[in-house]
Amino acid sequence: MSGPPPIEARGLRKVFHQTTTGQAVVAIERLDLHIAPREVVAIVGQTGCGKSTFFDLAIGLEAPTEGTLRIGDRSPHADFDHFRGRIATVFQQDRLLPWRSALDNAKLPLELLGLSETAQKDRALTWLNRLGLGNFTNAYPHELSGGMRQRVAIARAFAVQPDILLADEAFGHLDEVTAVELRETFLALARECGSTAILITHQLEEAIGVGDRIVVFGKSAKLLADIRVTPWPKSKYVELREAIQSTLLNNSPDPRLNGF
Amino acid sequence: MSHEEHRVSVTDLKFPRHTLVSLLVFVVCWEVLSHLAPTLGIPPFAIPSFVKIAKSFADITAADIAVTLARVIGALLVSFVLGLALAMAMYRSESLEKYLHPMIRLLMAVPVVSWILFAVLWFPGVEFRIGFVLVVVCGPVFLIDTLDAMRGVPRELRHMMRSFRPTTLQFFLKLMLPAIVPSIFTSWKVNISLAIRVVTIAELVGAVTGIGHQLSIAQELFSVADVFAWTLVLVALLFLLEALVARVETRLLRWRV
Repeated sequence: MSGPPPIEARGLRKVFHQTTTGQAVVAIERLDLHIAPREVVAIVGQTGCGKSTFFDLAIGLEAPTEGTLRIGDRSPHADFDHFRGRIATVFQQDRLLPWRSALDNAKLPLELLGLSETAQKDRALTWLNRLGLGNFTNAYPHELSGGMRQRVAIARAFAVQPDILLADEAFGHLDEVTAVELRETFLALARECGSTAILITHQLEEAIGVGDRIVVFGKSAKLLADIRVTPWPKSKYVELREAIQSTLLNNSPDPRLNGF
Repeated sequence: MSHEEHRVSVTDLKFPRHTLVSLLVFVVCWEVLSHLAPTLGIPPFAIPSFVKIAKSFADITAADIAVTLARVIGALLVSFVLGLALAMAMYRSESLEKYLHPMIRLLMAVPVVSWILFAVLWFPGVEFRIGFVLVVVCGPVFLIDTLDAMRGVPRELRHMMRSFRPTTLQFFLKLMLPAIVPSIFTSWKVNISLAIRVVTIAELVGAVTGIGHQLSIAQELFSVADVFAWTLVLVALLFLLEALVARVETRLLRWRV
């Protein structure tokens, strides 16, 4: 197995035009970013800084206005179909289909891949069991709690055994205990599967707790800081959090981030 | 079970006292009036007694009911398929929608009687005339309802689905179609009622079979009892078809809270 390809953004720019006024809004301004295979990267930034636009560009649902975003030697937008089954996503809300049971929701991407019925069922059941939902496979989304629904969404993402996992504020709406538990499960499974994982979040604790690396976005996805978390001892996490917060507030890197 | 659900289910099980009482009052008033009609200066044929109406029921022919039912179901199926296909095409193509939408609104504004007259003038075959009128009246309802339902599919679900890179067909079959099923059922219920009314008028004007035709004969014979009996058959047909759709709806939408 060759493993996941690297993700490379070069001079990435994305401009939207407002429907009513036609006014241009720069969501991402000249972003250069390299994400190595199997890295777990947390992208943090304030609301409206371009995190979700980067997410949509990485999924391939949006095309860059200028510059490139490549996964390996291909563009997720231009080579859209090539990435079927290679990229999976977990969103802020579970986004389960209400007319499908937990099992059928987890099977959905496998149906799209055209796997046999047996393979779909086996693989979906495996992941639902791993996420502790073995007794709820026939339950409809409205019969599950918020945390359980998000587990189904995670099972749906992992079921395709993707090279790249993207999570957009995936745990932000859950209570703290459930969020921590799910975050840890997500991280452990991503590492076990050898997937590259990108987590978009506005919660600094989540970014520090999950990422090998934290990328801090300023306005228009300006790269304010690119932090390797591993060298930071756990005892310094409070300081790291304060430094990131200061970076976000001042829109420039905090000097404490240079210490590691 | 929540309080609300409990309250609803208990209400459902209740004896339909109010309905029966109002029906009984109507029946008694009608019967009294039918006996008093001559003394009130009303022609006796205008308000027949229930004995006479019951006799009219005995003369009802199953063949006419079957013909009307077949026309309604056949036309509704054709209207549904055409409406769904056009709605999908219009959802996919913004320019097609821009061109077709005004035309559809125009079709919907034309009175049913005008369509019947057009059909009589344009087409020689009776069945085609009736089918044409039904499809041109019911088809746009299916189309507009389906298109609106497609547009109402939450952006978040469309976004999620697209992130898994489905083919166009998969996108429609796995997301759009199941998502619009509740609206399709509502549309069917509206169109069944519409089709029953339209088919009656269409048969009244140009057919030699069907309930509308029988109503026309009853009118020529000044037989209010026959009109009453055939009208009750139409109402019963409407309720039957609606109950059938509701049953399928309950089965297919059991995932709903």
